[in-house]
Amino acid sequence: MKFDILIAGVGGQGVVLASRLLATAAMDAGFHVATAETIGMAQREGSVTSHVRIGNEVCGSLIPQGTADLIIGLEPAEAARNLRYMRKGGSLIVNEHAIVPSTQGPVKYEPDRLIGFLRDNCQDKCQSMISADFTRLAKDAGTYKAANVAMIAAAAGAGLLPFSEEYLWGVLEKLIPEKHRDVNRRVFDRAIESIPKDEDIRTKKPSMEGCETNV
Amino acid sequence: MPLSSKRILMGNEAIALAAMQAGVQIASGYPGTPSSEVMETIASHAKKYGIYAEWATNEKVALETAVGAAYSGARAIVTMKQVGLNVASDPLMSLSYIGVKGSLVILVSDDPGPHSSQTEQDTRAFGHFANIPVLDPSTPQEAYDMTLLAFRLSHEMETPVILRTTTRVSHGCADVITGDIAQVARDIEGFVRDKRWTIFPKLTSQRHPLLEELQVRLSDRFSGYFRDNSFNSISRGNSSIGIAVSGVSYLYAKEATRDYPGTFSLFKVGTVYPFPEKAALEFLEGITDLIVIEELDPYLEEQFLQLAGRHHLNVRVHGKKDGCFPVSGEYDVDVVIDGINRALEGSDEDVPALSHSSPAINPADVPHLPVRAPTLCAGCMHRTVFYAFKKAAGRLRSKQGVDSVFSGDIGCYTLGNAQPLNMVDTCLCMGAGISIAAGLSHTQEYTSGKRAKQVAFIGDSTFFHSGIAAVVSAVYNNADITIAVLDNRTTAMTGHQPHPGIGMTAVGSPAKIIDIADVLRSCGVGMVRTAEADSLDECVAAATESMQFEGPSAIVFRGRCVAISKGAGQYVIDKDKCTRCRLCISQLGCPAIFSVSSGLPVIQDTCSGCDLCAQVCPSGAIALKEVSQ
Ligand code: SF4
Ligand code: SF4
Repeated sequence: MKFDILIAGVGGQGVVLASRLLATAAMDAGFHVATAETIGMAQREGSVTSHVRIGNEVCGSLIPQGTADLIIGLEPAEAARNLRYMRKGGSLIVNEHAIVPSTQGPVKYEPDRLIGFLRDNCQDKCQSMISADFTRLAKDAGTYKAANVAMIAAAAGAGLLPFSEEYLWGVLEKLIPEKHRDVNRRVFDRAIESIPKDEDIRTKKPSMEGCETNV
Repeated sequence: MPLSSKRILMGNEAIALAAMQAGVQIASGYPGTPSSEVMETIASHAKKYGIYAEWATNEKVALETAVGAAYSGARAIVTMKQVGLNVASDPLMSLSYIGVKGSLVILVSDDPGPHSSQTEQDTRAFGHFANIPVLDPSTPQEAYDMTLLAFRLSHEMETPVILRTTTRVSHGCADVITGDIAQVARDIEGFVRDKRWTIFPKLTSQRHPLLEELQVRLSDRFSGYFRDNSFNSISRGNSSIGIAVSGVSYLYAKEATRDYPGTFSLFKVGTVYPFPEKAALEFLEGITDLIVIEELDPYLEEQFLQLAGRHHLNVRVHGKKDGCFPVSGEYDVDVVIDGINRALEGSDEDVPALSHSSPAINPADVPHLPVRAPTLCAGCMHRTVFYAFKKAAGRLRSKQGVDSVFSGDIGCYTLGNAQPLNMVDTCLCMGAGISIAAGLSHTQEYTSGKRAKQVAFIGDSTFFHSGIAAVVSAVYNNADITIAVLDNRTTAMTGHQPHPGIGMTAVGSPAKIIDIADVLRSCGVGMVRTAEADSLDECVAAATESMQFEGPSAIVFRGRCVAISKGAGQYVIDKDKCTRCRLCISQLGCPAIFSVSSGLPVIQDTCSGCDLCAQVCPSGAIALKEVSQ
């Protein structure tokens, strides 16, 4: 089995932490993992991606185009920028909170239109698509900075990960410093609650053949 | 710690733990992405295990320190990035003649892409140039295991060994099986006087043949590793097409050819220099087409081409030189698939082309997206200083007709080149800002009529790295320059390592503070002053005064790095007072302020409260947000 997750966002949004959390949880659940993260100069307010590859076999850490099972977009434009990685039948979870660059180039950024594009194009082509303002959700729960935690919790709550949310929380408890733990727990729980449980939201469980032997 | 445990580690952390398992006693380095976490990890465990760990002022000093330790029989490691090895190359080239006692591992991280470097150079070529063995891991687990091998090899062969990684190994994380780490042994023999430690022409001429002979012995030994070492392997396929790989390309090649099991023969080499010729020759038997997959330089490709030429082998070698693979940039599975397909076109074998996976959404359908170039952080002190010089230079131009040239340097503040600040006219390598400004100032007398003022920006850590020698030279030669030291009290770009201006060592012990302003004064800089970066007015005044000074002048701007210290709080814009003049947006480029065209600017949550926009706003519309409760 293999499960490839691409996390995309803007420097400072906690992409690297999100990928560490997912990778550690996957390892705890018994899989091999390989990640590739953007660190250094590219991180400062620039586009940042993190590749998390989970599976039974050791792979290179970069996901080939058209093979990601899940894209977690912490920002709408960054989700769109990385759509070429999504396989047919993959899933998309996107944060509607846009980060508009202060010095914009020739392209004007209109987040609402972009979110419209994602809705129009991905909903049919994805196994599931979840789109919400996770930054607001996190802010309401105590800190806007935990949008990354909200999104991976939502992915777990929607059954989009090859391991259960308990593994994730177990890692969060270890990795997040004690003084931030309560607020992150609040964000974690609220994000999971925010996933509607009815069939309507186009969220189906991903097929996870071959995973059971490892979990 | 259990005897062997599995955990998720970054490649750099794996190397550090392996060095500790190998009993490393002395570690020295200079931070540089993607290498820094090796030293950081060792330093964070140093006190517990009794290791001596330090950040040196630059890579040359770091290497020489480690060399001194190895001369006395210690197990030593030195860490740096690829451009750092250039700085350390002077001692390195002589060291290969002299060799070491104890063991010395030189960790150098290359950066194909490049993600955060000035160059895309290949350390394998440096190993070849310097005659120093190079190991090239493809995964964090191999990085771990090869570090152990590097210490052993260095000790047995009395030579330094380069462990060369690339970004995807250094900064990739994976599950790694690690061994037990013990308290460091106190078993260093100590320095023993011997003629072999003093390089002289006579010694060089004696040692050179031995050095060449060592390369042959090592090459044979590495050929032997194909039988009994997992870093090197040969597997036979049922076609006459072979693939040769090293480093992370091994994994890309494996994944690219996954649907064709047993088709290609594979030559995987982890011990890249000296090239294991005997094993390579054996591999080439029955191969008509060899596809070499490697990032950066065509190092393996050249080795194979030479070998085929010398033995008159009938093999076509495909790689960078015949245009099958890109000569620059980072590789991935898709790049490798394209390259293999190009090579297959030229072969006689009937192997079908490899196919890419097609994405769910056609990339051409995605609308144009905003460009998101990296910029200085919201609230970064460098923005205030750059803006102050911009204002001072503007006045100098309008009042006295003097143009200003701004030479930048390597660090976060290289990002001062971004719009709207646009304050970096030159940037070459660590410490070059000051010397280039000096060089430009000496052309002044030849450019008749055009008056220009030279300003050099340099960070605190870079100042200690290679700025001081440039200051001495500028003063001695009376260059008319202004040096602006951007002192944010840390080495910010590489992850906040301490340096001699801070008063703390790598392991967190208190240390003597080397005061940058004092150093500048004692170097003879004519005018030296300090300014607090949180006051724009003070910065503009200091910039103006120093630029009007004739001869070398300097200002140390002291501030904070927002990534490690908090500001006053968040700022807000009063929509009644704001006149929509948009100065706060058009002048500063702070990523926390944005606005839709002609609308009211909005300050976002990422504001770190530096107060700069409030000082710039002519209408007093920006103020600290009052916290409710
Ligand atoms: S105070 Fe103004 S300039 Fe400073 S970080 Fe906040 S928005 Fe940016
Ligand atoms: S500088 Fe002041 S008045 Fe001008 S747009 Fe910004 S907040 Fe409004």
